[in-house]
Amino acid sequence: MGSHGNNLFGAVSSSVEAVTRPSHCDAISQQIRTFIQMRTNLKVVDNSGAKRVMCIQAKSGKYGAKLGDTIVGSVKEAQPRGKVKKGDVVYGVVVRAAMKKGRSDGSEVQFDDNAIVLVNNKGELIGTRVFGPVPHELRKKKHLKILALAEHIV
Amino acid sequence: MASAAATAAVSGVVLPHSLLSHRSSPPHIVALASSFRRLSLCASPRRTTHLVARADASAEAGEPEAEAEPVSASADAEAGEAEGAVAVAEAEEQPPPSKLKVKFGEIIGILNKQFIEEAEKVKTVPDLRPGDIIELRMQRPNKRRLSLFKGIIIAKHKAGVHTTIRVRRIIAGVGVEITFPVYSPRIKEITVIRHKKVRRAKLYYLKHKLPRFSTFK
Repeated sequence: MGSHGNNLFGAVSSSVEAVTRPSHCDAISQQIRTFIQMRTNLKVVDNSGAKRVMCIQAKSGKYGAKLGDTIVGSVKEAQPRGKVKKGDVVYGVVVRAAMKKGRSDGSEVQFDDNAIVLVNNKGELIGTRVFGPVPHELRKKKHLKILALAEHIV
Repeated sequence: MASAAATAAVSGVVLPHSLLSHRSSPPHIVALASSFRRLSLCASPRRTTHLVARADASAEAGEPEAEAEPVSASADAEAGEAEGAVAVAEAEEQPPPSKLKVKFGEIIGILNKQFIEEAEKVKTVPDLRPGDIIELRMQRPNKRRLSLFKGIIIAKHKAGVHTTIRVRRIIAGVGVEITFPVYSPRIKEITVIRHKKVRRAKLYYLKHKLPRFSTFK
């Protein structure tokens, strides 16, 4: 498969700082996840038809997108009969990020993967279902439809 | 208002004032502590003088202590309300009179202990270790019911009153790790359900293992 010793699940861990060989001093850098930026691969967790999207641009944020931000992406992998096809340029809302997001009560949340939900440029969802847990940071960003469709709100 | 009372307290007792002058820049150290805890600056010199007054008075004789006590107690009480309005968990009571001299470097440690004592009065925090499977009830801002979090503690970072635990669980098929400050007033209850034997202090390896090791009913 050609994946390095520390890459988990194949191509998913794109925002992990890559290490060529597992060693003791890399343990700390492996734990520090960074922003979602250009070339980051993200999983799509709605039923719009796309499977993987590569981020082209983070709409807000100087260093990249965090949990709850919107990104522009290019569909890299799609299901045969879906609302979007491979090569489309789409907008997405980040619903799960491997980077910690702090909350106002002092707690921090992080997920195991990076995932988005596709929206159009007005902010309306393309799909009709959302899979997996979503954080309640989306409430503040006014993505109430995503929260309504979610399986579990963290 | 509070500063006037503070200066009255200082000048009222002769001995601590002389000792204060020969120590190097006390307000600077306390300003550090105060900015870090968001106290008003007028309140902080009072707190130092109150600690120094205690220490020196007890070191010297019992008689100036009796004089310092009612003066600094009144200043303590009125600035206590001002602090209580600002910060989250402030100690309104005075620390137990210790017969040891209090060094300025120990002030943060003493204040931390006061905060922890205050938080302990509201709820008891059990002894938490990595490998414990816990159930945590937390108050969310506009919700009436407490939200429930379950999971295994994979890390505990000890930092006095900001001691945090990192709890991991698989929710709806995806692993989620949440860091909770243990002494936060939002957290109403922590109970340890089970304990998993681990040979590490930080269980970050769990996210690379099969999901079933992080699943808890």
